[in-house]
Amino acid sequence: MAFESFSDFLAMGTHGHYVWSVYGISLFLLVGITVQSITAKKSQIKRLRKLSLGKQNTHAPD
Amino acid sequence: MNWIWFHKLGSPKWFFHWADRWSKLIFIFGVSLFLLGIIWGLVFAPEDYQQGNSFRIIYIHVPSAMLAQSCYLALGISGIVSLVWQMKMAPIFIKSVAPIGAVMAIIALLSGAIWGKPTWGTWWVWDARLTSVLVLFILYMGVIAIQNSFDDTRLSDKAAVVISVVGLINLPIIKYSVDWWNTLHQPATFSIIEKPSMPAEMWVPLLFCVVGLYLFTVGVTCWRMQTELLIREKRSNWIKAEVLDSGV
Amino acid sequence: MTYLSFFKSELKLVIRRKQDIVNSLVFFLMIVTLFPLGVNPSSSFLEPAAGGIIWCSTTLAILMSVETMFKEDFHDGSLEQLVISGLYLPFLILLKLTVQWLAVLLPLLILSPLFSSMLFLPWSILSVLIFTLLLGSPALFLIGTIGAALTLSLRRGAVLMLLIILPFYLPVIIFATGAITAAQTGQDYMGQLAILAAISLAALALSPGMAAISIKASIN
Repeated sequence: MAFESFSDFLAMGTHGHYVWSVYGISLFLLVGITVQSITAKKSQIKRLRKLSLGKQNTHAPD
Repeated sequence: MNWIWFHKLGSPKWFFHWADRWSKLIFIFGVSLFLLGIIWGLVFAPEDYQQGNSFRIIYIHVPSAMLAQSCYLALGISGIVSLVWQMKMAPIFIKSVAPIGAVMAIIALLSGAIWGKPTWGTWWVWDARLTSVLVLFILYMGVIAIQNSFDDTRLSDKAAVVISVVGLINLPIIKYSVDWWNTLHQPATFSIIEKPSMPAEMWVPLLFCVVGLYLFTVGVTCWRMQTELLIREKRSNWIKAEVLDSGV
Repeated sequence: MTYLSFFKSELKLVIRRKQDIVNSLVFFLMIVTLFPLGVNPSSSFLEPAAGGIIWCSTTLAILMSVETMFKEDFHDGSLEQLVISGLYLPFLILLKLTVQWLAVLLPLLILSPLFSSMLFLPWSILSVLIFTLLLGSPALFLIGTIGAALTLSLRRGAVLMLLIILPFYLPVIIFATGAITAAQTGQDYMGQLAILAAISLAALALSPGMAAISIKASIN
C-alpha cells in the first residue's frame, strides 16, 4: 500500500484534485459511451421487433 | 497463411453471430483488467519521487492515448480495405470505431492537460505530443461529421472511406511536421512516459490498463457494429430471425 | 403561423441538426490550433493575441452561419411563405436570427474557458472576453443578416456578401479586442464595452428592417 490512510489516499499528497478529476471525467466518458452503445443496440432491436411483429399481424388471415 | 478468417469478417451475418458469442466476454474481461490495473496503480504502486502522486494519471493517460492512435490506424486501414476489397463491413467499422477513438482522444487530452498543471505549472502546452493528439481528435470529428452529413448511406460510406484513407496517409506527415515544429519552438521538454527505469510495480498495472482498455474498445465497437448492421440489414431474413429469437 | 410557432420551429430545426453545432465547435478548435502552430506557441505571443484569435474565429463562425441562414429557405420556398404570411417580416427575421445567435454563441461561451486556457488568456480576463462576445456578437449577426439578405438570390453571392459586410465588422472587432487588451494591461475597458453595446443596439434597430426590404426585393 502506498498510502498510510484512506484520507491520505484521497488527498494524494496535494495532487488529489488533479488525479481524481482525471479519473472522474475519464470514467464518466467511458461509461457514457458504453451505455450509449448498449442502449442504441437494444432500442434498435426493440424497434425492429415491433416492426416485424406488426407486419405479421397485418398479414391476411389464412 | 489462411485468409479465410479475413473473408469471413466481411460477412455481416458471420460477424453478427461472432459478436453475439464473444463481445460480452471480451468486454467484461477488458473492463476487469482495466479496473485491476487502475486500482493497482492508484493504491499499490509506489509514489514517483519526482512527480509525487500525480503520476498516477499515467494509468489513464497512456492507455487512452495509445487507443486514440490505434483506433485511427484501424479506421484508416479499414478504409483501404474497403477501397481494395469492397468489404461491406469496413465502412460499418469506421462508423462504429470513430466515436470511441474520439472519446479516447478527449480523455488523453484532458488527462494530459490536467497532469500538466502540477507537473509543468500550466494547463496546456503546445508541445508535439499533445498537439498531435489534438489534431487526431479533429480528424476523428471530421470522420464523424462527414458520416452524419449525408442522407444516402452509400454516399456517406464512400465519403468516410475517402477521408479515413486520406487521414491515414496524412497522419505520419502531420506527426512528423508537428515534431519538427516542436523542435523549432522547444517548449518545456519533458518526457513523462519515456522513463526507461520504471519499476515493475509501476509498469505492470499500466500494461493491464492498456490491454484492458483495448479489449474494452473491441467489445464496445462490436456492439456499435451490430447496431449499425441491425439498421442497415433490417430487411434481410437473418436479421429478422435474430430480432425475434434473441432476447438480447 | 404565429411568431411563437415560427420561433419554435426554427429552434427545432437547429436542435435536430446537432452535427452543425458540433461542426462549428470543431471549427473554433481548429482556428485556435492554427495560430500557435502557424506563428508561435509560446505564451508570450499567445497571451496578448488570445482575445484577437478568439474574436477572429467568432467572426468567421458567424459569417458562415449567416451565409447559409436564408439559403435553404429561399430555395425551398419557405422564405416566400414568410413574406406573404401577413406577419411582420422584420420581426420574423429577428426571431430567426436569435435562434442562429443562440446556436453559435452558446456552445462558444461554454467552451470559451477551454479555448482561453489553450491560448494562455488569464482567468481574470475571461469575464471581459465573455462580455465582449455577448455585446459584440449581436452586431455581427445583425449586420451579417443584411448582407445575407442582399446577396440572397445571387448564385455566387458568398464572397460579395463578405466584401460588403466585413468593413462594418471592423469597428466591432476593434472595440472588442481593444477592451480585452485594455483589461490585460489593467486599464479601464468600460468605454469599449459601451460602444460595443451601442453598435449592437443600433444594428438591432436598423437591420431587421433593411433585411426585410432586401428579402422582399429578392423574392419578387
